[in-house]
Amino acid sequence: MIKKFIHQFASPKTYLFQVNKFYNYIFFISVFIYISSIAWGLLFTPEDFVQGNSFRIIYLHVPASFISQSLYAAMAVSSIVYLVWRVKLAAYLVIAIAPIGAMTTFIALISGSIWGIPTWGTWWQWDARITSTLILFIMYLGLISFHNSFSNYEKADKLLSWLVIVGAVNIPIIKKSVDWWSTLHQSASITLTNKPSIDPSMLYPLIGSIIGFFGLILCLVLLSSKNQILIREKTKSWIKDYV
Amino acid sequence: MFEFAFNSFYEAIYMNGHGIYVWSVLAIVCLSLFVFFTLYSSKIKQIKKKLNEPN
Repeated sequence: MIKKFIHQFASPKTYLFQVNKFYNYIFFISVFIYISSIAWGLLFTPEDFVQGNSFRIIYLHVPASFISQSLYAAMAVSSIVYLVWRVKLAAYLVIAIAPIGAMTTFIALISGSIWGIPTWGTWWQWDARITSTLILFIMYLGLISFHNSFSNYEKADKLLSWLVIVGAVNIPIIKKSVDWWSTLHQSASITLTNKPSIDPSMLYPLIGSIIGFFGLILCLVLLSSKNQILIREKTKSWIKDYV
Repeated sequence: MFEFAFNSFYEAIYMNGHGIYVWSVLAIVCLSLFVFFTLYSSKIKQIKKKLNEPN
């Protein structure tokens, strides 16, 4: 039953038509949420007692960091779906997400380094959180290069999916690195189980910036997957009707 | 909650010396998003154009 459901709703054709239907709504709502949350965070929240105004980087760093890990988790889930149920769309999603994951990880690393200068007095430290995030960035680049090195798409998709699943071990390591090791990086301010350790006046714009950034990244994933479908399905008759 | 955190526009830009860090990160994020949106949109346009060409 699950297989039937997935195959019915995850055909590249259905997906492409659904993307076109909802893309503009998601894009404009996300732009509005992101811009207003960033303006709120950068200009209207009070200055932090310890970090001063440099704490405002949180509204740019945290969404990128959170989404860089979430994208890898999404790639791992897509890989499992592809390997178990042979859903083509899942394989397209894996390679469509990778460059966007690399971009968000790059933003997380750069923003963290810039934030480190006024806060820690250094832009880089080989501590567990920063190093495991750097490994995630290298993994994204490696996976893209690996897929591009094949001329046979099917073989590339299969091997890539296995590699993505193996590499997923790095995600809990990144998440738990601040608890398992003594690091310069602070512990998570927002968790699912505990009350946030951040004041509501600073928390609400942070939640808004995460939602807005998530929406924009979702739009990029939709564009990237659309690009993949057009390349990979170009010989199909329905593509001619679509374009 | 929605009170402007600075006394002047200059203060908002300068942020007691931290403005350079905050605004440069904002510039990097906006630039990255802009480059990726432009890149994918132009790629899709190119493919569509190619598929529309008569064989």
